[in-house]
Amino acid sequence: MTWLSAWWHLTWARGRWPQRAAALWLLLVLGAALLAPLGGYAVGADVDLTAASQGPSLAHWLGTDHLGRDVAWRLALACQAFVGPGLVAAVVAGVLGVLPAAVAGLVGGGVALGLRYLTAVVATLPRFVLVLLLLMIYGDSAPLLGAAIGLAYAPELSEAVYGRVEELRRADFLETSLAHGVSWWRLLFLHVLVGAAGGLVARHLLRAFAFTVVLESTLSYLGGFGVQEPWPSWGNMLVFEWGRGLGVAQIAPAAMLLFTVGACASVAGWAGGERHVR
Amino acid sequence: MVGPLATRALWGLATLVGAVTGMFGLMVLAPGDPIDLLPNAEAVRPVLAAEWALDQPAPVRLGRWWGRLLSGELGVSLSYRPGMPVAELVWAAAPPTALRVLGALATVLALGTALAWHTSRGERGPSRAVAQATSLVPLFLAVHAVVASLNGGAFALMEAGWIDRPGWFALPDQASLLRTTTSVLLLAVASGSLAEVHADLEVALAELRRSPFVVAARARGESTTALLLRHLLPRLCTVAAGRLAMLLGGAIVVEKLMLLPGAGAMLWNAALVRDYELVLGLSFVAAAAVVLGRFLSDAARLFLDPRWREVTG
Repeated sequence: MTWLSAWWHLTWARGRWPQRAAALWLLLVLGAALLAPLGGYAVGADVDLTAASQGPSLAHWLGTDHLGRDVAWRLALACQAFVGPGLVAAVVAGVLGVLPAAVAGLVGGGVALGLRYLTAVVATLPRFVLVLLLLMIYGDSAPLLGAAIGLAYAPELSEAVYGRVEELRRADFLETSLAHGVSWWRLLFLHVLVGAAGGLVARHLLRAFAFTVVLESTLSYLGGFGVQEPWPSWGNMLVFEWGRGLGVAQIAPAAMLLFTVGACASVAGWAGGERHVR
Repeated sequence: MVGPLATRALWGLATLVGAVTGMFGLMVLAPGDPIDLLPNAEAVRPVLAAEWALDQPAPVRLGRWWGRLLSGELGVSLSYRPGMPVAELVWAAAPPTALRVLGALATVLALGTALAWHTSRGERGPSRAVAQATSLVPLFLAVHAVVASLNGGAFALMEAGWIDRPGWFALPDQASLLRTTTSVLLLAVASGSLAEVHADLEVALAELRRSPFVVAARARGESTTALLLRHLLPRLCTVAAGRLAMLLGGAIVVEKLMLLPGAGAMLWNAALVRDYELVLGLSFVAAAAVVLGRFLSDAARLFLDPRWREVTG
């Protein structure tokens, strides 16, 4: 309960209403990804040309696309396309980017040099190129997309954590804690990773999630990789309505994408402490 | 200065070797026979099995691959342009992408500096919000919106009889100055490029404005513009090197969506038909460009900032 209370005071209670709304939006997206598949909407059997390109109504809250498919249902189902890979990406980036960098930052010397070399090697390839390379070699699947994005994002997280921990290496409180017999691992996890770099890590993990949302939509929009029709993704929903005028079927996925990326940025700033110029 | 520069050159070379070895390792670790994944597997199997030495252990294959790379050979395209040397394809496609990326880099640095100059004074205004808003728009969505608006607007004006068919209509099908300029601007501004460059430079400029030497110059009544810009240059070099990899990735999206010729669109199309040799060749060139960019940035910074020379020397 103490942890929950501390989290509440440090995050939710400090946030302003746009940041709280952004956090609720992300929870809504997560809920849609989990619950929409249980709604019984039959993807592939939902074509109804008699109801093509309709506007919003009680039967179809956000109208239909040019094949008569319900836009609201497809938007909700499309959350599955990035939520799973986004969580995988955050876990992979966290595993590869946080602990090794924290250990290297504290230990320094050859370990730090080795880690910085590996980070530089991965960062040498542009992220999109690395993801494309992995999808081409190992096949296009949602877990692999998440893992590839996690790997591509890890260098940025690793550099940030390494920099923060290296700054702390000679901090008085660390030396004092060690002198008082606090174990090295407790110091690393509790004081360094959670206390000093927790906000930084949270901000980067949210950015990795947002990067997954954008990259998955991009791949599905371009076609060939990512989610393929008839399965929905915000990217392929947008391109599917290309050249058919500006309707809800085209505006809705674009708006969802912007809201979600914006929500990630807002919550990331909240979690990590925004950079201010005074 | 030669010592730190040589160290950086060695570091860059070592990371490139690591990246190329890593790419080869990804191929070797792939489950099953890589040739099976090719669309024309049976046709190319005898040639590829010999070329890739699939019966040999991985280190031997890696050695052969490096030998080939060092002699300037990147292999032969398997399915994108079957039989064509990859080096020939890459050297034909790389220059337009390089120009596009360098143009976008110059644009984003200029725009980012101008915005940061304004916002680092701490004055309230819409500039920061505008820069941050651009970070929310994915590149593909920005291209989609701009191309649809240009085409839709032109079509509406033509329907109304106000204009004749413009030379660039419809945008993705025609080569034009408008298409080139639009692609460079979109690459520079969308997907967070402008927002990140602005944020980096804003912090750097705010720190510079508070520096004792700038405060002293201001107290003497001197103009600080040239002083600030001179001290911002080393930071600009670092920011430019950091943006290069992102812009190279963005070039894939822009070239593919705006039907522009270049290495980005070629990489996407080659990945779709699993042309390993061509994708590896293009990835190698992208990695080499990033390494070269980092080295040039470090060299420029060493030249421009004597303090950094002392720290790293």
